[in-house]
Amino acid sequence: MGIGVFNIEKSYEADVALNDVSMEIEDGAFVTLLGATGAGKTTLLRIMAGIDRPDKGLVFYDGKDVTDVPVQKRNIAMVYQEFVNYPSMTIYENIASPLRVSKPRYSKTDIDKQVRYHAELLGLTAVLNHYPEEVSGGQKQRTAIARALIKDTRFIFLDEPLANLDYKLREELRGELKTLLQQKGGAVVYATPESVDALSMSTDVAYFEEGRLLQYGPLQEVYHNPAYVEVGAYFSYPTMNIMEAHKITEQGKTSLSISDEIRIDVTEFRDRLQAQQYLVGVRAYNLYTSSQNGRGLIPFSATVELAEELGSDTELHVRHQELVLVVLMQEVARFPIGTEITGYLDPSRLFIYDRETRQLVLKTFS
Amino acid sequence: MKNRGWLFVIPALAVLAISAFIPLMTVINYSLHYIFAGSTPTFVGFENYVEVLRDSVFLQALVRQLVFSLGILAVEVPLGICIALCLPKRGPGVAVCLVLLGIPLLIPFNVVGIIARVLTQSAVGVIPEFFALFNYSFNVSKDPVDAFMTIFLLDVWHWTPLVALLCYAGLQAIPDAYYQAARIDGASAWKTFRYVTLPKLRSVLIIGVLLRFMDSFKIYAEPLLLTGGGPGDATTFLSLHVARKAESYQLGYAGASSFIYLFIVIVFSYIFFQLMTHIGKGETK
Amino acid sequence: MARIELEGISHTYNPPSVPEAQREYAVSNMDISWPDGSANALLGPSGCGKTTILNIISGLLQPTAGRVLVDGKDVTPLAPRERKIAQVFQFPVVYDSMNVFDNLAFPLRNQKVPEREIGKKVRETAEILGLEDLLKARITSLNAADKQKISLGRSIIREDTAAVLLDEPLTVIDPKFKGGLRRKLREVQNRLKKTMIYVTHDQHEALTFADDVTIIQDGHLIQQGTPHELHSQPASPFIGYFIGSPGMNLLDCTLQDKDNTLQFSDFHLPVSQELKNKLGSAGTSLKLGIRPEVIDVATREQDGAVAFTVSVIEYTGAYRVLTCDRESSRIKARVSESISVTEGDRVWVSFPEEKVNLFFNEKRII
Repeated sequence: MGIGVFNIEKSYEADVALNDVSMEIEDGAFVTLLGATGAGKTTLLRIMAGIDRPDKGLVFYDGKDVTDVPVQKRNIAMVYQEFVNYPSMTIYENIASPLRVSKPRYSKTDIDKQVRYHAELLGLTAVLNHYPEEVSGGQKQRTAIARALIKDTRFIFLDEPLANLDYKLREELRGELKTLLQQKGGAVVYATPESVDALSMSTDVAYFEEGRLLQYGPLQEVYHNPAYVEVGAYFSYPTMNIMEAHKITEQGKTSLSISDEIRIDVTEFRDRLQAQQYLVGVRAYNLYTSSQNGRGLIPFSATVELAEELGSDTELHVRHQELVLVVLMQEVARFPIGTEITGYLDPSRLFIYDRETRQLVLKTFS
Repeated sequence: MKNRGWLFVIPALAVLAISAFIPLMTVINYSLHYIFAGSTPTFVGFENYVEVLRDSVFLQALVRQLVFSLGILAVEVPLGICIALCLPKRGPGVAVCLVLLGIPLLIPFNVVGIIARVLTQSAVGVIPEFFALFNYSFNVSKDPVDAFMTIFLLDVWHWTPLVALLCYAGLQAIPDAYYQAARIDGASAWKTFRYVTLPKLRSVLIIGVLLRFMDSFKIYAEPLLLTGGGPGDATTFLSLHVARKAESYQLGYAGASSFIYLFIVIVFSYIFFQLMTHIGKGETK
Repeated sequence: MARIELEGISHTYNPPSVPEAQREYAVSNMDISWPDGSANALLGPSGCGKTTILNIISGLLQPTAGRVLVDGKDVTPLAPRERKIAQVFQFPVVYDSMNVFDNLAFPLRNQKVPEREIGKKVRETAEILGLEDLLKARITSLNAADKQKISLGRSIIREDTAAVLLDEPLTVIDPKFKGGLRRKLREVQNRLKKTMIYVTHDQHEALTFADDVTIIQDGHLIQQGTPHELHSQPASPFIGYFIGSPGMNLLDCTLQDKDNTLQFSDFHLPVSQELKNKLGSAGTSLKLGIRPEVIDVATREQDGAVAFTVSVIEYTGAYRVLTCDRESSRIKARVSESISVTEGDRVWVSFPEEKVNLFFNEKRII
C-alpha cells in the first residue's frame, strides 16, 4: 500500500525532465525527493500528486491505477513554496476551506473543532481572525500546512515549503514539520534541494540528477552508503570532499595516493581495488584541525582560504597543494585568511569511488 | 472527458466561426471567381489577384496607406512614450490624468469622424477660422494635404492615449532599483532613458506598435465620414478602396484585394515583431 | 572608501499629524560607526527595521531625526546620487541591452574616463569577480549569480565610491550558486578593503561576510560585535536564540537563596557560591541560556544530571539535534554520532556551569 510510480517519462520541449523513473513509497514513510534545481524532483512530485501527467508511465495509489485520474478526484493535499492561501478569507476560513468543500459534509461544530485543533497545533490560534496579507511569512506557510493537514488524505505532497522563509524560521519549522507529519499516517513526499531538510526529517531519500533517479532507500542507508559520487557529494551537510587518487603498490603494500602528504593504506582492500584511478570522498566533519588524541589520523599542511561561520560551527576552506578542502569545526572560530594549519584526515571514514563508473567501490568503515 | 474546461470554449468558438472563419472562407471563395450580378460565378483561379496587383489605383491606395501607417507609428509611439514619462507615478493626479487620457479612446470611430467634419467645415468650423488667422485657407474638401493631415492628426489625437497608457503601465513595472542604480552610476537623463527605460519597455512597445499598425492599416470610418475619400483620392485608403469595389459588385476583385490586404498586414506584423524582439537581445549590429 | 556613521538616527513612518506619544518608530536612536574598509553586517528578522536603515544610509529616506556622516561630513541633506554610496539589490540590476564589458564600463564612461583606462579597470574588476572570460557575453545569457557579481562590479569599479550597501543580495540566487557567491562577496571585500554593509536576516550570510555584526530587533540596536562575541556573549536572550544553529536554550528560573539552587519549572540545579555571589540578590526571576552544543548528554544516570525524554531526533550528518522534554521544560541538545539514542529514550542532561549564560530583564548578567 502506498504510492507507486513506474517508468515515468516527462519532457518539456527539448528538455528531458524525467527519464524512466520508478519508485514505490510505503505507507507511513516520509520520502524526500532530493536534488538540485532542474533535477526532476518537482516534476516527479507534481506527477505523483496528479497535477501534471507523465508522457509515459503509470502512477498507482494503494494498488489502483490513478494515472488518468485528475487531481481533484485524488484526495491528496499539497503545500507549495509560495504560501498559497485564499487572500479574501481569514486564516480561520482558509484552514476550514477543505472541509467546507468535502463530501461527506461536516457539521459546523465539527469544522470548528478541527480548525481550532489544527490552528493550535501550528501556533495560529492568535491570528485566526486575520487575513493572509496581515500575517508573517512563517504564519502564512503554517496556514498552508494546516490546510493540508486538516484534510483527511492519505498522501501529502510538499514542494520546497521552507524555501521562502527566514533562516531561523526554517530551522524551527523543520523540527515541527517532522512531528506534525508523522502524526498523520499515510505517506509524505517532500521535494527539496537542501540536504539538511532530508537529513532532519525523512525516513527515506531519493536522489535525482538530471532526470534520473540515482539512489533511493532508507535515510541511513543512502547517507552511509551513497552509491555514486554525485550522491555522496550532494547528500552531505555541509559537503563531501572529493579527491582524485591513484593506486600505488610497493613492497607488498597497496595505498591510494592523493598527494605526497596524504596516502591511505588500503592493503586490506586490495582485492577490491582493480582499477588505477579512484575518487576518494571524505565528509567535512571527518577532517579535523587537531589530532584528536591520535586515532591514526593523517596530517597534512594547508592554508586557510576562507572561514565561514555557520551558526555554531565553522566551515574552513583550506588549500592543500592543488586541492581545496572543506573542514567542519564544531565550534565558532576565526581564522584569518592565509593562516597555515595542519589538517587531519580520518582514513577510517572514507568512501572510495571508481573514477570511470562513478560508483562506490568500498568504504573504509562498516 | 479529460478536461471539461474545453466545453466552456465552445460558445466562443462558435461565435468566432460565424464572425470570422466563415466570412474568411467566403471571401477567398469570391476571390477565385468572376462574379457579376445575376449570373452564376465562374471560377477564374488567380485572375482576380493578377488584376488587383496590376491595378494602379489599388497600388496607389496601398502606398498611401503605408505612408499613413508608418507616419502614424513614427508620431504616435514617441509621443505616447513622452506622455507616459510625464504622467505622475503616484498620488491623486494619477486618476485624473488617466481619465483625461482615456476620453479620446472612448469616443466611437464614427462620432470622431463627425466631430471632425463639424470642426473642419469651411463655412462654420473652428479650424478653418484658426488657419485664416495665418492667412492660410484651410479646406478639407478641396486641398489634398489638408484632408490627409486632418485624418492623420485625428488619428494621433484619438489613439496616442492608447500607446501612452500602455507605456505608462510598462513604466510602472520597472523597479525603482534600476533608476537608483543608474543615478549612482552617474548616468544622464538621456542615458537612463536609453539604457534602462527603453529596454524595459520593449515588450509593451511591441504590443503598441503591432496594435497601432494593424489598426491604422485598416482605417475606414473616419476618412469615409470626413472626406468620403476625397478630395479626389487623397484620403482613399486601402480599406475604402476595397469597400468601394465590393459595393459596385466587383466581388471577385474585392475578394482578391481583401485577401492581399490580409496578407500584407500579416507580413508587416511579422516583420515588426521579429525586428523588435531581436533589437532587445543586445546584439550590436 | 570611507567611514560611515549613524548619529542618533530615528525614523517613524507616521505623518507629523500623529502626536509624539502615539508614534510608532521603525528605528529608534541608532548610533553606529563603520570604519573605512570594514566588512559589516546588519542582521535581524524580517520587519526589524534594517531596510529602513538601509534607505536612510543610501539617501532614499530622510530620517525623522539624526544624521548620516561620511568621513565625518554630514550627508543627510544630500540626494542619493551625491552621497556616492553604491547598492547591490535583492535582484540583479544590470543593463539588459549591453554586454558584460559595457555594463562594468558604464559608470566610468559616465565620468568621461579615457577608454584605455576603462579597459584596464574593467579587466581588473572582471578578474577579481571571476568573470574575465565573459566580458563579451550578452548580459541576458548570464545566470542570476553572475549578474549579481556584475552589480557588485559596477559598485566597486569607481574609485570615489564611499561605501557599498548589499541588500540581501542572495535572495534570488539558486541554492547551487549561493555558497559560491557568498564566498566571492567576502573575497572581494577582503581583497579590495572597501567599506561594505551587508543587510540580511540570514545569520550564515552575516557571520560569514562580516568582521562586525550589528543585531537589530524592532528598530533597536541590540548588540554590535564580532561573530565570536555574539555567539559566546549574547547581550540578550533574543540574540542567544537568534545566533547559532540551533539557537540557545532559554529557560526561566529563580535563584533560591537558602539552598543555593536555581529553581526551574520542573527541576532544579545547584549553583556554586561564586556564581551566586555574581548574581547578587535572591528571588529574582532569571533566564538561563545554554547552547545546545555544550550540554552534556548521557545515556545513564549521572550525579547532578537531570532526566529528560528524547522526543525528536533531527539528523544532520555531523551531529544530531535532540529535542528533550520533561513535564514542562523543553531543551535541544547537540550530540555526536558516538552517542546512541532513539526517540523515546531517557537521557541525563547536565549544564556545565562555566558555559551558562544568565539573563535578567532581557539583559545578560553572566
